[in-house]
Amino acid sequence: MANRLDSLRAPLFVSWQITRDCDLCCLHCCTDSAPGKRLPDELTAQEAMRIANEIASNEVPYVMLCGGEPLVVPHFLSLAETLGTAGVQLKIETNGQRFDARVAERLARLPIRSIQISLDGDSQEVYARQRPGGVLAKAHEACRAVRAAGLPLEITFAPTRLNIHEAEAVICRARALGAFRFNTGKLMRIGTAARLWSKVQPSAEQYEEYRAVLDRQANILGREMEFCYSPFTLGEALSACLTEPPATLLVLPNGWVKVAAALPEICADLRRESLTEAWGAYCGAWRDEAVLAAVQRAAVDELHHSDANNWRRLAISKV
Amino acid sequence: MGNTKVNLQGEKKAEEKATTVTIKPGEQLDWETPKLEDVSEQVMAQPYIRFT
Repeated sequence: MANRLDSLRAPLFVSWQITRDCDLCCLHCCTDSAPGKRLPDELTAQEAMRIANEIASNEVPYVMLCGGEPLVVPHFLSLAETLGTAGVQLKIETNGQRFDARVAERLARLPIRSIQISLDGDSQEVYARQRPGGVLAKAHEACRAVRAAGLPLEITFAPTRLNIHEAEAVICRARALGAFRFNTGKLMRIGTAARLWSKVQPSAEQYEEYRAVLDRQANILGREMEFCYSPFTLGEALSACLTEPPATLLVLPNGWVKVAAALPEICADLRRESLTEAWGAYCGAWRDEAVLAAVQRAAVDELHHSDANNWRRLAISKV
Repeated sequence: MGNTKVNLQGEKKAEEKATTVTIKPGEQLDWETPKLEDVSEQVMAQPYIRFT
């Protein structure tokens, strides 16, 4: 079936996990990140710069740098500057533990669409229970550094049974810190969260109450801060992808390209293939019957998502 | 492999109707350059990207 992917010569957006390493070991992590979890075959700085230049020369308009924690990567700022000075708009996802005024000032020279900081609690006790090793005050300080540098701030909240009772306080905190957007949704059954599912998944009653909180706060604060929680689940998003696959590439720390976040299939390797070839492989994957069947299964049963990080190379790719 | 049918939805006002063209293997498509204004909706529609 033809779709818009076939008419684009490059993706609209690249979500680039530049490392699996992280300075926190969050219980809800969907990338299995933690201290020391850097992949042995992650892209070198030189390889990352080459890919960044390819992204820019292919006129990809928007790139998100994430991880793991992107700020633990020594070449993070150089990478952001390579993309940004070439005119690529950027979003940076960070836990805020290392994001200070110096970083904010360097990024403020670039075309930054937003800095997204995770606030998974409004008390140090709850925040650190979900994000062991994390200091909430550092995350708040990072938010202030973002705003002080004139950068747009968005806040993300991953609900678990450990923190969901503080969601409303986090929403108010996000607004007080000057966020323009609050992002959330259903906890994803991927990575660390999948392994700890019985400990972290909120109950149906907690979700019901949470949705009511979101609706209420969106009514109260909706003119001052955007609320993004639809589609609420990965399954809903996958169903929509069957009609219109997203023109977005998800690049892993070793340069592999995923077909979809909730699936393990890998369609390309940017270490060996050009961005154009990877884009072609991605578009081809979304026409592959086996892939479409896997998407359909994952759309209706989140148990299939828990296999998403056991990456598998697709036979149709050149990987 | 046979020819591939591709739906081209150009953004020019003069091309309001989608057109279907037949692409032969190896033939170059008249591709669109990605535009920033097309991005946000797709990004926000993906929970994995929106709130990892």
